Amino acid sequence: MAALGRAGGIGPPRIGGSRGSSPWASTGWRWLILVLASVYFLIPLIAALRFAGISSFGSVISQSGFTSSLALSVRLAVITTIITIALMLPTTVYVHLRLPKLRRLLEGITILPIVIPPVVLIVGVLQIAPGFLKSTEYLLALVYVILAMPFAYRAIDAGLRALDLKTITEAASSLGAGWITTLWRVILPNLRTALLSATVLTVALVLGEFTIASLDLYQTFPVWIYVNSQTSGQVSVAASLLALFVTWLFLMAITVIGTRQSRKTGGGSVTLFTVARQETRGD
Amino acid sequence: MDQTVAAPGSLADPGALGSGGAAASGPPGRLTVPRALRGLRRALGVVPFGVYVTLFLLLPMIAVAIGAFRNSSTGSFTLSNVKTATHGVYLHGFEQSIVLSVITSILPGIFGLLIAYAIFTAKRGTVLRQVVVTASGVFANFGGVPLAFLFIATLGSSGLATKWLIDIGFDPYAHGFSLYSLAGVVVVYMYFQIPLMVLVILPALEGLRPAWREAAENLGARSWDYWRFVGGPVLLPSFLGCVLLLFGSALSAYATAEALTNGTIPLTSIQIGSFLNGNVIAGQENVGKALGLGMVVIIAVAMMLYVALQRRAAKWLR
Amino acid sequence: MTTNTAGNAAATAAGIGQADRSGGTSVLLQDLSRVFGTTRALDGLSIEMAPGELVALLGPSGCGKTTALRIVAGFESADAGSVMIDGKDISSVPASRRDMGMVFQSYSLFPNMSALDNVAFGLRMRKLGTAQRRQRAGELLDMVGLADQASQYPHQLSGGQQQRVALARALAIEPRVLLLDEPLSALDAKVRLQLREQIRTLQQRLGTTTLFVTHDQEEALSMADRVGVMRQGKLEQIAAPDELYEDPATAFVAEFVGIMNRIPGELQGSGTVSVLGGAVPVRGESPADQAVDVLVRPEGLTMQVGPNGNGIVTTRNFLGSVTRVGVLLDGDVAVQVDKSSSEAAALTPGTSVSVSLPAQPVLVAPRR
Repeated sequence: MAALGRAGGIGPPRIGGSRGSSPWASTGWRWLILVLASVYFLIPLIAALRFAGISSFGSVISQSGFTSSLALSVRLAVITTIITIALMLPTTVYVHLRLPKLRRLLEGITILPIVIPPVVLIVGVLQIAPGFLKSTEYLLALVYVILAMPFAYRAIDAGLRALDLKTITEAASSLGAGWITTLWRVILPNLRTALLSATVLTVALVLGEFTIASLDLYQTFPVWIYVNSQTSGQVSVAASLLALFVTWLFLMAITVIGTRQSRKTGGGSVTLFTVARQETRGD
Repeated sequence: MDQTVAAPGSLADPGALGSGGAAASGPPGRLTVPRALRGLRRALGVVPFGVYVTLFLLLPMIAVAIGAFRNSSTGSFTLSNVKTATHGVYLHGFEQSIVLSVITSILPGIFGLLIAYAIFTAKRGTVLRQVVVTASGVFANFGGVPLAFLFIATLGSSGLATKWLIDIGFDPYAHGFSLYSLAGVVVVYMYFQIPLMVLVILPALEGLRPAWREAAENLGARSWDYWRFVGGPVLLPSFLGCVLLLFGSALSAYATAEALTNGTIPLTSIQIGSFLNGNVIAGQENVGKALGLGMVVIIAVAMMLYVALQRRAAKWLR
Repeated sequence: MTTNTAGNAAATAAGIGQADRSGGTSVLLQDLSRVFGTTRALDGLSIEMAPGELVALLGPSGCGKTTALRIVAGFESADAGSVMIDGKDISSVPASRRDMGMVFQSYSLFPNMSALDNVAFGLRMRKLGTAQRRQRAGELLDMVGLADQASQYPHQLSGGQQQRVALARALAIEPRVLLLDEPLSALDAKVRLQLREQIRTLQQRLGTTTLFVTHDQEEALSMADRVGVMRQGKLEQIAAPDELYEDPATAFVAEFVGIMNRIPGELQGSGTVSVLGGAVPVRGESPADQAVDVLVRPEGLTMQVGPNGNGIVTTRNFLGSVTRVGVLLDGDVAVQVDKSSSEAAALTPGTSVSVSLPAQPVLVAPRR
C-alpha cells in the first residue's frame, strides 16, 4: 500500500497553468460561437430585407389573394385552437386525476403525430375522408388538431405537473367544491399560462402550415406566399419576413407574460418549447 | 354562512375523488359488477379523445398501411407497390432522404450543442440566455416556404450572400453549388435544425449537476478530465437521442424542400407529395402509400431509439 | 451496521498512509471576507484548526458557513484574507490541486460510474494504476461498510449509502483536509445518526483535520472537537461543545445552542437586572434599552409548588429522567423548567408554582 508520494508540496496532479479550473468555454470561446451563430442566422434576414425592398411590404396587403388566404388561415387557426383545447384539456386533466396509468399511453399517442410525417398523414386522410368533408376547408382544421395535439398536450401536461393536481383537488373537494367548480375555479386559473402556450403554439402551427394545405389544394396563407412567388418574388419574400416577425412577436409575448405570471406564483421563467416542435411548421 | 359539504358519492360529485362511485361496502357478491362498471365509467372521460384520434390519426394510417399492399385497380393484395417503392428512383429517393437527414442531424447536433453550452455556462438570469432560447424557439418553428424564400434571397443565384462571395472572389455557383440542389437544402435545413437542437439539449445540459463538476475538480480533475470521464458519458445518451429527433424531423420535412426545388430533387417526402398531385403512372397509384409506410417505419425506429435513450439519460440526470 | 467490520476498519485505516499522518495538517483561515452584491457573506472570519481536529461551523442559513468552506476548497475566492495550510498560503492554488477531500450535500456521485469507480476517481486523477486503485477503492468501501455494493450505480443506492460512498471517495486520496458541506441534511433521521458516528469514528482514526458545516446544532455538538457558531458572516464564538452550552458568549449563541427561556426584566444601573421579583447580576454585554429579556436554561430555573405562586403549570413533557414542565408566569410569560421526573409527577396542569432565578450572572438580550 504505497503512500501517494506527497512529501512536501500540495499534492498531485501537477499540471501547468494557474487557476485552470474554469470551463473551457471561457468568455472568449462563448462569444465566438454566439457571434458565428448570430451571423448565420441574421444574414438571411438581412438579405431578404434587401431583396424585398421596403416598398414590397406595403404592396403585400394589396396583392390579390392576400386577404382571402390570410382570412382562411386565421379561420382555420381559430377553429383548430378551439377544438384542440376542448379536446386536450379535459382529457389531460382527467387522465392526471383519475387514470394515471394511462398517462404513459397518452404520452405515447401524442408522440405519434411527430413520427408520422404530415405528408403521409394527408395521404391517409384523403383516402378515408367522406366526400362531404373533403370538399370543405374544415377538413384541414380537423387534421391540424392532430398536428397540434403534441404541443398542446405537452403545454397542459407541464402546467398540470407544476400543480400537484391531486392535492389541490382533494383540498377543494374537502372544502365542499364539486367537480365543475373545482375545474373552473381551482384548476383552470392555474393553467392560464399553459393554455396560453398551447394556444400560441397551435395558432403558430396553423398559420405556417403548408404541406397539408397545399396537398389538399387549399390556398392558406403559406400556400399563397408560394403560389404568389411566381408572379412577384419580392412580395413573397416580404410576406415571409412578416410571417417570421409576427411569430416572433407572439412567442416573445407569451414568454414574457408567462414568466411574469409564473414569477407571481413563485415559479421560474417559462420556456414553451420542449421536444420536437418544428417540422410541421410551414411543412 | 351556509355551507354545504358534499358527501362522498353525492350527485354534485360524479366520480368524486377517493370515493370512486360504487361504495366499497355492500354484500361481497355484488362487488364484481359495480367494479367493472366503475372502470368503464372512468374510461368514459377519455372517449372523446380516443374517438378523435382513431378517426383522424389511426384510420388514416391504417388506410395508408393497407393501401401500400393493395393493387390500385383490382384491390387485391400485392407486394408490387412495395417493390416499386424500394427500387429505382424511389430507392434513390430514400437514399437521398436518409443521407440528407443524417447530415442535417449530426452537424446541427454538434453546432446546437456548442451553442447550448455557450449559453449554459453564461451567468444565470442574464438576458443572453433568454434571448437565445426565445430566438431558438422562433427559428425552430420557422421553416417551409418563408424560410425557402429567405434563402433564395440570400444564396440564390442572384442572392445577396452570393454576390458578396463573388465580390471576394469565390463564386459558389461556379463551383457546382446550387441552392436548388441537395447541398442547398442542407444549408437551409440547418436554419431550423440547429435551434431545435439547442432547445432539446439544453435540459440535458442543465441536468449536469454542478456538484459533479466540483467533486471532480476537488479530486484533481481538470476540465478535460471532467468532460472525458463524467460530463461526456452522462450527456451522450441525451445527445444521441436529440440527434435522432433531428433525424426524424429532417426526414419528415416537406415544405422547405418543395418550395426550394419545386419538387425537382429526389426526396421521399417530395415523391409522396407528387402522388397526391396526380403525377402518377397508371397502376402505381398506391406506390405513394408504400413510400409513406416506409417513411413511417424508418422514423418509428428512430423514435423508439430516441425514447430508449432518453429514458436511460433520465436515470442519470435525475 | 459496521460494528463487525470495525476491527477490519481499524487495521485497514492504520495501514493506509499512516506514514504521512505523522503531523496531521493545520489549517488557518485568516480574516476571510467575501461580499456578494450588497451582502457581506463573510466578514473577517478567522479560525485556527489544529492538526487532526474536527471543527464544526454552525449557524442559520445565510450565515456564511458554506461560503467559508467553499473558499477553503477553492471553489470560491475570498475578497480579502487568506487560507493557510501548514503555514503555506494556498489562496492562489486551484481547487484541483489543493489535495482536500470534499463531501457535498447530496447527489455528488458521478452517475455513470459504479461505487467502486467513483471512489477510485481521485486515484485515477493521480495516475495510479488500474489494479492498484481498484484495490485501494475496495478497501475504502470496506471501511464504510459498502464492500458488497462496489459494483452498484448511484441510482441504485439509498441516500445514506450514497453519502458513505462520497465519504470513501473523499478519503481515498488521503486528503490533508476533509471538508463536509452539510452531508447529512438530505438524509432521514435514523440514517443521519448512524452516519454521524461513522464519520466521526473514521475521522478520528485517520486523524484528518476536518471542517464540517451544518445548521443542526445537535449534530455539531455531538461530533465536533470545537464548534464555531456563525452569524451574518461573523464568528460569534468558537469553543468546545460543553463550553458553548454552559458558557455562551453572546445571546445569539445561547439561544442557538440548546433551549433558552426568555423572561422580561428591567436593567438596573448597577450591572444587575430586575427579574421575577429579584435582582440578578448581568454578565456579558448589556443592550442599550432598559427593557430586556433575561436568558435562562430550563435547568437553571428553580420551581416550588405552593399557593399564590407567580405561575401555573400548563404542560409536561416527559423526557426520560427529566421532565420539561411548561409554566405560564404572571404577565403571560411562558417558560420551560426542567425537573426530575419523580418530582414532576405531582405537577399536574393548573398547579400553582413559584419560579425563581438563583443569584448567578445571567445573559440578557434586547426584549423581543
